[in-house]
Amino acid sequence: MARILTSICVVAFAASIAAQSTPAHRSYDIEFLGAPLADPVLQHAKETFVLFGCAYCHGLNLVSRGEATDLMHSALVGRDENGNRIGPLLRAGIPQTAKLSPMPQFSDLSDQQIAALVTWIHYARQQGRYQELTAAPARAGDMAAGKAYFERSCRTCHAVDGDLSGIGRKYDAPALRTAILDPKSLKVERSFTSARLHDAKLEAAQQRHHALLENYAAEEVANLVAYLASVR
Amino acid sequence: MTLTRRDFGKVLLAGVSGCAALQSAREAFAQTHPPNRSLINGVQFGLQPFCYHDLAMTRENRGELIRRLVRNGMGMVELHATWVEPRFNDPGVSAAAARDRLRAWRLSPPAGYYRGIRQQLDDAGVAVFTYYVNFDDSYTDAEIDATFEGAKILGARGCVGSFGLAVSRRVVPFPGRHGMFIGLHNHDNLSDPDAYASEASMVTGLSMSPDFKMMLDTRHFTAADGDCVGFLERHHDRIAGMHVGDRRKHNGRSAPFGEGDAPIIELLRMVRDNRWPIVALLEFEHGTLRPEVEEVDLMFDYCKRAVA
Repeated sequence: MARILTSICVVAFAASIAAQSTPAHRSYDIEFLGAPLADPVLQHAKETFVLFGCAYCHGLNLVSRGEATDLMHSALVGRDENGNRIGPLLRAGIPQTAKLSPMPQFSDLSDQQIAALVTWIHYARQQGRYQELTAAPARAGDMAAGKAYFERSCRTCHAVDGDLSGIGRKYDAPALRTAILDPKSLKVERSFTSARLHDAKLEAAQQRHHALLENYAAEEVANLVAYLASVR
Repeated sequence: MTLTRRDFGKVLLAGVSGCAALQSAREAFAQTHPPNRSLINGVQFGLQPFCYHDLAMTRENRGELIRRLVRNGMGMVELHATWVEPRFNDPGVSAAAARDRLRAWRLSPPAGYYRGIRQQLDDAGVAVFTYYVNFDDSYTDAEIDATFEGAKILGARGCVGSFGLAVSRRVVPFPGRHGMFIGLHNHDNLSDPDAYASEASMVTGLSMSPDFKMMLDTRHFTAADGDCVGFLERHHDRIAGMHVGDRRKHNGRSAPFGEGDAPIIELLRMVRDNRWPIVALLEFEHGTLRPEVEEVDLMFDYCKRAVA
């Protein structure tokens, strides 16, 4: 009897181990969603974007399907800061339109869910805009226009006689373009350690550059490259 | 006329053998025509394959579509024309030129084209209930007729589309010529006077022709604050089918079945208990992280339990 009981326990234990060892993402539609992202915050944002049905109309990577607004190039998304424009629109929806399918309202979503949707929209837009801008053929820029853009958009944090002194000597035009679109110094892995959690300076710099990336025109990038290349 | 006992016996014998013949004919029919696999307790279910959000609606993907339908236990489908027709919008081809080529193709499709697709569907045990095609002003009369002809060969009983009152008026003469119906598909834009969104707009559309029937979309009607149960009760004899899905009221978002405001269980039980020949086509738009086949299974299970 004891032997039988032992056998049953062994089988039950083996079964429980087998059950635990099944893949965590057994019911995860990897073909549609892509492999889970390394960054859990972004992965959660992406999943939220899918779970509330946004991806079916606006496209998982913001390549819109059908009549939905093109979020990759929407001016409203470009002006949004931390959901200050996207959030209210999501909650209200767009009922008054001549199109057949007005956008539903998402009034029942929590602030965290709205924040996750906003995170994904901006992340996906940054990825898409980076690809668009780097795929665009390199063109000669207007140095004066680039200087004007720099004074207007970059001067609050950077100075050509300070941190960017002689930058035109150090980098050629393609490297400058890459650095403008995706600065290496801001590529810091997301972390919830106390130190990183309150690194307001880094966060502000990331946000500022991401906002620029989301709104650059190819011409503006070319002008900026021309100006910075002249800083010797 | 007097009936002798001998005559009575002959009549009785003929009657018995007639009944036996009828019974064996029924059995033979049942063997060659098994019941549709998604007929559940008298309610015919089917699928609007829009639910497979990851699968582009192209004729190249039709084989995969059919495999998924079978996997989901679906024996009936609303087939969008894009699963059937070729596309002509190649790079460098203008939209107008692509439209002209599509029209030309529709007017003279390759011989046996639709029959081949019908065979493919028949072999898988999938019946086409309706053919989804968005008629608009760019359609010529001949093209509308040709579309109905193709749909008929596929086995469709009607053509359904997202068009409003103006286009409906234009297509009045067509379904009757082909012994079919036109399914009016409601959306949820109450601000567009041409759209089917309110009950009044749908009644206006239905009054245009006895060949017009509703394809009542429960998601859209719920989002437009419509009364699905009341509509079914009042107009069931003019409803060919329902797009069964869930959404929240007041232009609310799509939700998994049972989590929105659409009275799915009540509607399905009304169809079951009244034996109305209204086809329930599952269609959903809510998000899921699961593969779409699994999600269809879950939503279908919800409906099966409703009519169990």
